Amino acid sequence: MADLAVRLLNVSYASNGTQILSGIDLCFRPGLFNVVLGPNGAGKSTLIRIAAGSFAPSSGKVLYGDIPALSFDATTLARRRAVLSQQIELSLPLRVEDVVLMGRYPHYRDAPSIRDKEIVSRALDLVDMAGRRHQPYPTLSGGERQKTHLARVLAQIWDDDDDRDERILFLDEPTTSLDIHYQIHLLDTARKFLARRCTIVASLHDLNMAFDYGDHFFLLDFGRLLCEANGAGSIPKELIERVYRVRAEMIASADQIAYWRFRL
Amino acid sequence: MTRHFLATLLFALLAPLSAMTDHQADPPGDRVVCVSKQINEFVFDIGAESHLVARDLTSIYPRDILKLPTVGYHRALSPEGIISMRPSVLLTDGNVGPNEVLDRVRSVGISVVTMDPGDTLQGAEDLMIRLGNYFGREEQAATLVAAWKAGMEKAIRAAGHWADQNKPRVLMVHFGQIGNSYLGLSPKGPAEQILEWAGGRNAIAEGSRMVHLTPEMIAVAAPDVIIATDVGFDRYGSVEKFAEMPGVNLTPAGRNLRIYRIDETEMMYFGPRTPASITNIARWLHDK
Amino acid sequence: MSALRQLPYRQIYLALMLLLAMSLIASASIGTIVFTPLDIATFLGEALGLSPTGPDVLNHNVFFLLRLPRVVLCGFTGATLGVSGTLMQGLFRNPIVEPGLTGTSAGAALGAAVVFVFGGTALSFASPLATAGVPLLAFACSFATTMIVYRLSTTFGRTEIFTLLLAGIAINAMCNAGTGFLSYIARDPQARNITFWNLGTFTTADWRGALVVATAFAACFMLALHHGKSLNALMLGEEDATYLGVEPDKLIFRLIVINTVMVSVATAMVGVIAFVGLVVPHLLRMIRSADYTFLIPASALLGALLMEIVDIVARLVIQPAELPIGIITALLGAPFFLWILILQRRAMGGSYG
Repeated sequence: MADLAVRLLNVSYASNGTQILSGIDLCFRPGLFNVVLGPNGAGKSTLIRIAAGSFAPSSGKVLYGDIPALSFDATTLARRRAVLSQQIELSLPLRVEDVVLMGRYPHYRDAPSIRDKEIVSRALDLVDMAGRRHQPYPTLSGGERQKTHLARVLAQIWDDDDDRDERILFLDEPTTSLDIHYQIHLLDTARKFLARRCTIVASLHDLNMAFDYGDHFFLLDFGRLLCEANGAGSIPKELIERVYRVRAEMIASADQIAYWRFRL
Repeated sequence: MTRHFLATLLFALLAPLSAMTDHQADPPGDRVVCVSKQINEFVFDIGAESHLVARDLTSIYPRDILKLPTVGYHRALSPEGIISMRPSVLLTDGNVGPNEVLDRVRSVGISVVTMDPGDTLQGAEDLMIRLGNYFGREEQAATLVAAWKAGMEKAIRAAGHWADQNKPRVLMVHFGQIGNSYLGLSPKGPAEQILEWAGGRNAIAEGSRMVHLTPEMIAVAAPDVIIATDVGFDRYGSVEKFAEMPGVNLTPAGRNLRIYRIDETEMMYFGPRTPASITNIARWLHDK
Repeated sequence: MSALRQLPYRQIYLALMLLLAMSLIASASIGTIVFTPLDIATFLGEALGLSPTGPDVLNHNVFFLLRLPRVVLCGFTGATLGVSGTLMQGLFRNPIVEPGLTGTSAGAALGAAVVFVFGGTALSFASPLATAGVPLLAFACSFATTMIVYRLSTTFGRTEIFTLLLAGIAINAMCNAGTGFLSYIARDPQARNITFWNLGTFTTADWRGALVVATAFAACFMLALHHGKSLNALMLGEEDATYLGVEPDKLIFRLIVINTVMVSVATAMVGVIAFVGLVVPHLLRMIRSADYTFLIPASALLGALLMEIVDIVARLVIQPAELPIGIITALLGAPFFLWILILQRRAMGGSYG
């Protein structure tokens, strides 16, 4: 499973008579921060979930390397890829560290090992929640909750010296309803994780943020892949304007990063 | 512990066999626990009550028996409750619950003797004789049965006066404590037999033993007379109030206030007081 | 309460085990016949062959043939109901779920009632066929009703929790109607048993029943223990649990089977007992944690403990008669349940999912 490039081959998905994705052909770049862009209803979330193996497409295949994603058993898959969903509104009656420990569930059967507990601690450190590990989850703010879940999914795919395969981290609109501090914190932490043999596939709705953090971009509209770009500058401005139905104006270009201003 | 366990297992497996063994060969001893109201009454009749140490809740005749502690309702017995009386024998007529109680009592080594009189007068007379033999009061039992037979003959003959006349329709109402509902006594049972000797007709013709009564059933039965057992009658307290019971108020019995109270122990089984019951009931039915 | 929340799970288990041990001793001692610790020690000595059987054979027998199996049956029944409540609440992510909500208890009671009414003389109580017939048919009916509820609420392999709860309520109603009908048409001797069944009792406990329940519980408990993690993961929602490697539909099916076996066997031996499965997990969450890897073993201990205490009360209140267990659990459980409801309404965001 060394080559874990996530590939979608002619993937389509329809549900209740509505076509949500049509003929998606793409390959997420290993080791990079892949971003899926598109307006509401473009199918970003569905694409992420199908790529993560949550359910089967109506037609087409999802491959991890050469192997169909759905042919892996649940535990093996869980050790390779983790998904951070949109903020979970649930009030889990557990402590922070218990929630993060859930990320290690695919890795042990009956009781966590020393290594599992160590990974939990390191994941908590990475997201700056170590001081709150004994705190009950329901008492956390929204941003703190999402940090906890980030720690959980990172713990899930924490790399191992014994296990040198590539991991995949899927982020499905992870910054929804977080304030700017937490948004940046989350994306910074995710980027740091790239160094740990990880591929990131994220859907982000904030274009500037996407361009700031992303390495490789996929633009979706009405369930179709319109454009693939390696670098923010490569996406034609007209395409952005058409797809998002806005007027786009580049206002600064520092460090080769484009900042856009949008108006209707 | 293994040996003990094996012994227990063996005993438990053989327990059903012991049910068939007639423990009557053994003497009753001085600590008899009897959970049958009929047998208790007979024991007092033959003068063997000194053997008794405990009764069930429904054994209330004769009054002297009330001095004895109870082990609970005969259909809701607990093995330990019975065993705590340290009985020399547990005496029943077979009408006990829950089913496993007798088994459990036997399993700790206590004898259980079941004497089921069945539904016939003969069966009841035989029961008296058996009890006489069992308690070594054969003479008293024999004398009693003779007087009882004579009394029965006389009462039936006297009641026979009304054999040709119009037999009134009679509804016999009992009260079921477990189901907390009124029951009608239907064909096959001592009560109906007593009623017939007294010159009455059971207003309920179907079913066996007892049926749940609904107001409609009561109204359709249209009895001329209602005889209610003590517990059920006392819930209403008076003839007038009982006559207001739904269904009863639509019957001739209800309208004419021909409602009579009888002690359960005088009608639910045959005994030496049956001749008196026949006479009483006959008077109720035919003296206008 | 907050001090307890800091304790490691192990210490809570130890405390519960200690309390359980005390309750077992109390249960072995207290009743219409009282056994002092000295008595118990003497009897155990006799049984182990350490001393010859004393003059009090009767009490020796009562202790080993009636009291001890009762203590054992009571404990394992409590453990069964406690664990069952925990599993169900975890599965349905709803704290107001009872083991009987999937139609399991009601189905078992119906199966037992059918044997009583239609068994006739072939299944009269002295026959060995009856002793097997009741639990077998109870399990069969219980499994049937549980599967009906499960199937009604599962389409294309996805289980709708809400539908499951509603279907369970409907099936429960049907089973209760069936049992009620049977007790209505039953001839008197049969009706006695049905009434008892709906109220639950340990009065006629024997070793056979105790060992059957103990075995069923032990097997199911071992299997259930492994699923503590999965139930935790389920708190995240089915999709996120899937990402963690949990297969929710398989999990649900497995746990329903485990739950049904445990509860139907216990119900067949003892009758329907309500509220234990509701109260035990709640108390544990309040005391320490909602972590299912903790709740499953702890609810076995606490369930057994509570059941012993309730049985002691049942033996004492109307001596020498005994109160059916179900009455006490309902009397205590219902107000507790209402209290939980009130607390939940006050708690901030106190939803379990």
